[in-house]
Amino acid sequence: MLINRIFSGNDAVFGLTEQAVDGAVKEHGADKAVGFPHTAYCLPCYYAVTGVKVKTLGELKEALGVVKSLMTREHALDDALMSGVATALCAEFIEALKYIDGVQPYEEPCYGHLADSIIREMGVPLVTGDIPGVAVILGSAPTAKEGVELIKSYQAQGILVTLVGGIIDQAQELGLKMGYNVRIVPLGKDVTSVIHVVSVALRAALIFGNVTPGDAASLIAYTSERVPAFVNAFKPIDDVVLAAGAGAIKLGFPVISNETENIVEVPGALIACPDVAEFNKVSLEARNIKIKITKIDIPVAFASAFEGEIIRRPDMQVEFDGSRVDCAELVQTKALEEVEDHKIEVIGPEVDTFEVGSKHSLAYVVEVAGKKMQPDFEPVIERKFHNYINCIEGVYHTGQRDMLRIRISKEAFGAGFRARHIGEVLYAQVKNEFEAVVDKCQVKIYTDPAACTRIRHEVAVPAFEKRDARLETLTDESVDVYYSCILCQAFSPSHVCVVTPERLGLCGAVSWLDAKATNELDPAGPCQVITKERPIDENIGAYEDVDEAVQKYSQGALEHVTLYSIMQDPMTSCGCFECICGIEPFSNGVVIANREYAGMTPLGMTFPEMASMTGGGVQTPGFMGHGKHFIASKKFMKAEGGIERIVWMPKELKDTVAERLNRTAKEVYGIDNFTDMIGDETVATDPETLVAFLTEHNHPALSMDPMM
Amino acid sequence: MPFNQKPQKFNAKINTVTIGSGDKTVTLGGGSTFPFYTFDAPAENAPKVGVEISDMGLEGASEGIKAYYEGASTMADIAKKAAAMEGADFVALLLEGGDPNGADKPVDELIAIVKEVADAIDCPLVVEGCKNVEKDAELLPKVAEVLQGRNVLIMSEKEENYKAIGAAAGLAYDQIVGAESAVDINLAKQLNVITTQLGVKPQKIVMNVGSACVGYGYEYVVSTMDRIKGAALSQNDNMLQMPIITPVASETWGVKEASASEADMPEWGPQDERGIDMEIMTAAADLVSGSDAVILRHPQSVATISKMIKALV
Repeated sequence: MLINRIFSGNDAVFGLTEQAVDGAVKEHGADKAVGFPHTAYCLPCYYAVTGVKVKTLGELKEALGVVKSLMTREHALDDALMSGVATALCAEFIEALKYIDGVQPYEEPCYGHLADSIIREMGVPLVTGDIPGVAVILGSAPTAKEGVELIKSYQAQGILVTLVGGIIDQAQELGLKMGYNVRIVPLGKDVTSVIHVVSVALRAALIFGNVTPGDAASLIAYTSERVPAFVNAFKPIDDVVLAAGAGAIKLGFPVISNETENIVEVPGALIACPDVAEFNKVSLEARNIKIKITKIDIPVAFASAFEGEIIRRPDMQVEFDGSRVDCAELVQTKALEEVEDHKIEVIGPEVDTFEVGSKHSLAYVVEVAGKKMQPDFEPVIERKFHNYINCIEGVYHTGQRDMLRIRISKEAFGAGFRARHIGEVLYAQVKNEFEAVVDKCQVKIYTDPAACTRIRHEVAVPAFEKRDARLETLTDESVDVYYSCILCQAFSPSHVCVVTPERLGLCGAVSWLDAKATNELDPAGPCQVITKERPIDENIGAYEDVDEAVQKYSQGALEHVTLYSIMQDPMTSCGCFECICGIEPFSNGVVIANREYAGMTPLGMTFPEMASMTGGGVQTPGFMGHGKHFIASKKFMKAEGGIERIVWMPKELKDTVAERLNRTAKEVYGIDNFTDMIGDETVATDPETLVAFLTEHNHPALSMDPMM
Repeated sequence: MPFNQKPQKFNAKINTVTIGSGDKTVTLGGGSTFPFYTFDAPAENAPKVGVEISDMGLEGASEGIKAYYEGASTMADIAKKAAAMEGADFVALLLEGGDPNGADKPVDELIAIVKEVADAIDCPLVVEGCKNVEKDAELLPKVAEVLQGRNVLIMSEKEENYKAIGAAAGLAYDQIVGAESAVDINLAKQLNVITTQLGVKPQKIVMNVGSACVGYGYEYVVSTMDRIKGAALSQNDNMLQMPIITPVASETWGVKEASASEADMPEWGPQDERGIDMEIMTAAADLVSGSDAVILRHPQSVATISKMIKALV
């Protein structure tokens, strides 16, 4: 039914065009010049689609034949869409005829054809996102008020609005200020004048996209991917409008309409939306347009200058303290339809009702949805909350998860700052910084103590446990790709970290999930995907893919890197390592020193001396930089026998990693309390005493094969 | 045993980029050897030397520079004299007066200067921003617009404002884009990647990979340029094959060796000479490290460096 309507609309328009062109040829002769003013592209749409420049009425007549050839009548969607394109080209011909003899057929406020210079000027803000989209509003709104409200809603978002048909009269009736400078461009009152915005999109593809005229496939790919336009068509939708709409859909522009009669929805392309007030939301979602938030709506300042601000007890209006009462902060991934963008809810009393200096519960849940959102990004986003909330003037935040503490100063409260503003800040920052993955975001702020208790124990804690369990089960074998990290190459030019689930970056700051999120958020950035499809030796962690990647990212300085060996092609270090592990020849083991440790090690070297052998992107077999977390990993120098080789660590470090290290030792080797067998500076700082200690404790390294 | 020369062959080339229109153009890049390795293969295009002038006129210029421009009362006069300098291949206009932390000249005023300079000369023109990314994002697209058809190089496209400047200069107004990064091969490459993703052709990009004055952490500059040329040639990394232009003067004339007066530092000798020395040393080091063009201010530096280039290629 839909397809037949498009065909009949197309036929009607083609008939009219043929008549008009024939009439013009009869009146002016075939050699009469035809074209639009201030463009180098003749009839831009026809030129973009076919690569042929039409300059005279005679050529226009020929072009009509080409258009006819697009009007195939197979009962298939693509035929219908091509007929839409044919309809659009006919509209361009009709409009071109209006400009014969250099007349200006449009008068205030209508623009008609738009000059090339406007497109060049508009192209820059379109590319930067300062104009996030282009709305084409067509027909008459149910009431003038609804129509103008819709226009204003787009205008407030910076979207360029073009108007065709009755909506122009409606806007004038209510005295709406229009013009290119306020981003509202009335094109014309005939439906064919819609071609002037199509012409803009297609010329943008030629100018900004380097598309070759006539290369219709690249043209459509460009408009679909790069021109964020969409159509809002008011009912009644007749066959002609429908046929023109099919042309828009072919170019990748969804059509949203309040028409419900005689129409079939096409998901993502032709969308029925009975309520005009919903047009904005539905259109932005359909075209995947994201609005940049330039100003956070809070009564105090927001800047990194306030990050270090401390609020002392006498200056504090109110405090939320997770160590005393139930608090939590959480990011949750939801389905797109479950999230209403920018909805901020306070559940419980506002701060006004709290006594000065009192302590309360607070839980905030940031619910996000996005086509590219993954639950793995939740902790990455959540970790930024500390920074976001601290940047608010007069608000201070410490801790994380359910152990957070927030104070609001009397001054901030006096300026009008309330709990809901925390939501505003989280919303704006999450939307801006995680734009690549978060399409919609809403925030729920609980101040009701019972609700906080429920959220903490029934929602947040289970979520944290699930996340931790996922981290525990995330092994190198269970993932398909690793990531490179070259953040440190500014000072260590040939170093490349290969980040795997069980071996985080040696700085300790970049886990596999962080690297994955970094890659998703900044695809050309420092973390790139490394495949692991061509293993050479999985025991030592040698892969052709990894070697190729380190060669590429070190610009040829490194050729081979193994993931699990300290002796054969060990991974390089930049200089930011948390720990260094070095071979201890007397015991067949290794010694680990952390950066904080200032004393001597049994190697006869201090941490800085070991660092001088390890950093700078060089491979020194027997030495390796790594993160603290890596010590308890089953992949820790697995090629040489694993953590059983660890014979010495500074006491402080040993205490930090004891629980996890002992667990791994028990699981892998069946050893209880492994850390008791490991020496520290209170036992020995020379090899002889250390070996005596190890012998006394029957350390497994002593009976292992020599490493060299 | 006779000496057997083995030329180092690379199956890769630095892109050639032509700046300017009409009869007077300069072409940067094109080589497939390390800098000045003419024993491996003859140089395609010798490195070029530009003369920097500022929208602030001769304010703060050294005595020797002021003496050269004596009698030039307008920006047009200054531009003409710069273009006529011995050894000059192009003129670079620095719009430092636009900096909101400095003179904070409005965009319209700067555009008028750009037009005045462009109309006064017919040699290739390079325009440098004011160092402030927001102001440059507003200013440089306008510069690209008013200079349509001149095929100028618009510098100062940075990661923070690459969309505005890249789209205006590289797409809308068909100029050359100067991608600026801060002495880091990966940042340089990343900027080239995202600029090309905008749709700017690699052949329309020149890199400014950052610089420093010799003695001021300069080793980083050498290592960065060295590695970029290495990756471009030996690894055929086409996101690093853009020619490199290095604004030298803006770095060297600010350091104390060039700015301390002779009255304050009598043991250092004449101020003008020190400035020239710093400029020449830095420029020479930039060129041998991989720069395809340098931007200088003092006539003596321009003459010396251009002589050096002629002697080496």
